[in-house]
Amino acid sequence: MEKERFLSVDCKSRDMNSGAVADQLPRPFLDLSWEQPVHHGAQFESAISSLVSSPSSNPSAGNGSVVVRELIGRLGSICDSGEISQASCYRTPLDSPPKLTLPVLGHLQQGGGGLPMPGNEMADGQFTPFAANPGFTERAARSSCFGTWSYGGLGDQSGLPEAGNLSRVPRSHSLKSAGALRMGVLDSGKDASKSNPERIEMEMRSKLGGGMPPSSTSGRTMAGGAANNVSRRKAASKGRGKEAPLSCSNHLGLQAAEDEHPDVKRCKSAKNNGADKDSVVKQETEQNIGASQKKGKENNAKPPEPPKDYIHVRARRGQATDSHSLAERVRREKISKRMKLLQDLVPGCNKITGKAMMLDEIINYVQSLQRQVEFLSMKLATMNPQLDFDLETLLQESMHQEHEPLPQQLYPLEGTSAAFSYAQRPQGSPLQSAITNGLGVGQQPLCPFDGLADATSQLGNFWESDLQYVVHMGFGQSQGAEFFSQSLHAE
Amino acid sequence: WRAPPGTRTLTPRFGPSKPMLAFRFLRALTLVHRTAANSSNAARSRRIQRAAFASMAYSAGPRRAWSRALLCRLHFHRARRRCAGRRRAAGVPRRPSTTGSPADGLRRLVPGGTGMDYCGLLEETADYIRCLSEQVKLMQSIVDSVGPGGR
Repeated sequence: MEKERFLSVDCKSRDMNSGAVADQLPRPFLDLSWEQPVHHGAQFESAISSLVSSPSSNPSAGNGSVVVRELIGRLGSICDSGEISQASCYRTPLDSPPKLTLPVLGHLQQGGGGLPMPGNEMADGQFTPFAANPGFTERAARSSCFGTWSYGGLGDQSGLPEAGNLSRVPRSHSLKSAGALRMGVLDSGKDASKSNPERIEMEMRSKLGGGMPPSSTSGRTMAGGAANNVSRRKAASKGRGKEAPLSCSNHLGLQAAEDEHPDVKRCKSAKNNGADKDSVVKQETEQNIGASQKKGKENNAKPPEPPKDYIHVRARRGQATDSHSLAERVRREKISKRMKLLQDLVPGCNKITGKAMMLDEIINYVQSLQRQVEFLSMKLATMNPQLDFDLETLLQESMHQEHEPLPQQLYPLEGTSAAFSYAQRPQGSPLQSAITNGLGVGQQPLCPFDGLADATSQLGNFWESDLQYVVHMGFGQSQGAEFFSQSLHAE
Repeated sequence: WRAPPGTRTLTPRFGPSKPMLAFRFLRALTLVHRTAANSSNAARSRRIQRAAFASMAYSAGPRRAWSRALLCRLHFHRARRRCAGRRRAAGVPRRPSTTGSPADGLRRLVPGGTGMDYCGLLEETADYIRCLSEQVKLMQSIVDSVGPGGR
């Protein structure tokens, strides 16, 4: 079935379509070579011609799948060698599988997007490799919308002017003309976007293969790799891309036309999430395509089984559902929660939106606080003689406010009060009261300051006693306690 | 001596303990004034600032990464000052974070922020800001209570 589609869109194929092979499966691949004229044109042509020539002698049903597989393998190797650099800008570029299906998928996308399967009976041996599902077209249409989505993501990342191409892709699909599709794919098939159509194709394939039982793995190496890559990709991908393919697969039974638009809309909405999902779906597509190819003709119109990750669809609508995406989403929510907390702490941050500006605001605030501490310490240094606090009284007041005062604390206080209050002045009480009022209700029992009475005038001793204090406090963190005790011994 | 069982629960999870902060800082302050009355104001202010940070870190407890890092830094500097004399290491000129995540500036500010992921960094920053503001309030209240008559 697909073959007919490919043939119809073959108008612009290169001269590689020669002889009987032109009508056969390899022809679509020839079109695909047209897709990447810049990088891999020559390579593709050579590979395709070689591939085409080999099976041209016996285009029987059984060889069709073989031919397809070989072609895919060759193309994949070419794609790998061609180094689709744009793939690297995505989180988990799975090189071989997406590239393998890239040319095939691109072609499928072309064919499937616009043409509603004129002849589904093409599911003889030659065409079975292309997912004998009649819904393949729809899936291809879906993948085209993914192309749009991934193009958008690519555009953001690579800075390529793909936005223009993006708009064309869905439109072209809706046009139901191979030429228009070709144009759309062509445009998007430019340098940076080359990986995108590939990925889209991967997604398409995954959806197609979704109907196939996952057990049927194609014999192709790439399919196996794709399977692994799928799991990896799915783990790495995040965002809502998955949801779109899932929902797309749901509509596989429906007509391609009406599904294209909602898919396009979904894809566009998911555009912002980056193109990572493309790769994931692509992996699935790859695997599924392989599976479908292996299975042979399945000309039924049964709705394709959902892809593997359809089971976890408890995620929000339009969001990816694999475990890693969920974890990513949880992490993002945590971060946003903390940012809200910070927003409450930093005064005057209510109007500021955006992480970058909030970060700047927070940095400024922390710097200002540190400067304030420095300034106040300078001021306190000059206020030396006036400082007089009866810490003992202060502590007692705080202790009384606690629910569990410790009598032991009184003893060290006796020793310390003399050391602290070295100047008896009535101003001490205002200071104490001010500080006490500022402190609020004491929430923590004061520990005995064992080493306080004999604390020397060194500030280090202050720290030492504090270390003891902390150790006695029995803070929960063993790490901190260890550090503190070690420092104590080191003193 | 063991802390009463209710002690730990009393430790505020999200915020410094004000009485402890006040006590520690005041104690340190008096110590500084008592022992370094003859040194320059700048040196004293340095010590007071260190005491402020130390009391902040101690009162925050070892549960926070920033308090541990702060105390580590203070102790390290103190040891270096003792062992290596008064030689001060030249500060490395800071490069603007044109490359790297936008949180780099924050990592430099918050003690112990360099070894943290973004999520933990935000939480530590929140706690650090809380403690810093408490410390500032305390110091301000001390200054205010002394009144304009302070030397």
